[in-house]
Amino acid sequence: MYKLTPLYNGNQLNVIRLLDNAYIPFDPDNTDYQEYLKWLKAGNTPEAAS
Amino acid sequence: MAYGLINADQIGTSVANTSLGAGNASLMKNRIINGAMVIDQRNAGASVTPTATNTYTLDRWQAQLSVSSKYSVQQNAGSVTPPAGFTNYLGVTSLAATSVGSTDYYAIRQQIEGFNIADLGWGTANAKTVTLSFQVYSSLTGTFGGYLNNASDAYAYPFTYSISVANTWTSISITIAGPTSGTWNTTSGQGIKVGFGLGVGSTYSGTAGSWSANNYLSATGATSVVGTNGATFYITGVQLEVGSSATGFEYRQYGQELALCQRYYEYATGTIQGTDAPSGGYCRTIWFFKVPKRTSPTVTAISGSNGTVGTTTVDFSLIYIQSSSSYFNTGSTAVAEL
Repeated sequence: MYKLTPLYNGNQLNVIRLLDNAYIPFDPDNTDYQEYLKWLKAGNTPEAAS
Repeated sequence: MAYGLINADQIGTSVANTSLGAGNASLMKNRIINGAMVIDQRNAGASVTPTATNTYTLDRWQAQLSVSSKYSVQQNAGSVTPPAGFTNYLGVTSLAATSVGSTDYYAIRQQIEGFNIADLGWGTANAKTVTLSFQVYSSLTGTFGGYLNNASDAYAYPFTYSISVANTWTSISITIAGPTSGTWNTTSGQGIKVGFGLGVGSTYSGTAGSWSANNYLSATGATSVVGTNGATFYITGVQLEVGSSATGFEYRQYGQELALCQRYYEYATGTIQGTDAPSGGYCRTIWFFKVPKRTSPTVTAISGSNGTVGTTTVDFSLIYIQSSSSYFNTGSTAVAEL
């Protein structure tokens, strides 16, 4: 499960992995981000930023 | 004024007929990081029982598994005397007598970054031969297995080695002709995966001693460590080098080895302190990493989190700290593993 972070200067920089409160940067070489993309592709949706 | 005698050919004599970085020279010849199992940032010597595959144990070393909690991993598990010249080893202990089905797999592996194997020319006609060497100790005897594989798990080389005496350190050396086929990453992604099987089913086991376009994690018929409750498998001195024979293990200074590990994982002790923030607002502070990361890392707070993370690059992470607190975390991590 993931949750988006608030936008910074209009940009989405990170997503939070709720399991361990990890901030995952939107970097295509980051393996956690790659896992997030697979999760999205499987039809899942992250929680909105709060 | 006399300044003493300088032996001008001393260096040439000591490394005669060698090339630095390959062969017998001892300058960064080992493509494995933490092969002496000295660095354990995550667990500091404590035992860990992996519940998910690809869990990191000692630095750079991952636990692969198809079913959780079948074995534990600990630096210097069992407190046996390491082999001569070493002070640490990676210790696996089987936690049950696990039946290994055809699609099951249990292994320990390291993924080597593509930049660090770019000179091998793998996947070309000029692929270089490498030699994998290590010291191993087990409560079991027999033929054990392991593998080399590429980033997409699509081109593998299963290998075997023999442990003939239980509970005794055995030196192993395996020479592997470089593959002239397959796709091998030579940049910041996964270059070569090097693994040691602990029990691998037939789907992921292949004929030892040859490359093929398969996802193999061990050799057919290899001993299953997880198949025996309480069985142990200890390993250290892992070295992958260019050439057709094993040379002495490349000892690195502790700080060097730690820095090599910190390219992929960094643990920050203490807190990341901010300045006083205006009421209802926030302040910003920057966590500069000790070592530039392989890629922008995932930033995690192990305990306590009083802020949020903004921009993260390979060099730093920008932390936003709420006005109610002046610190961010205790024990933050930055993870850029392969």
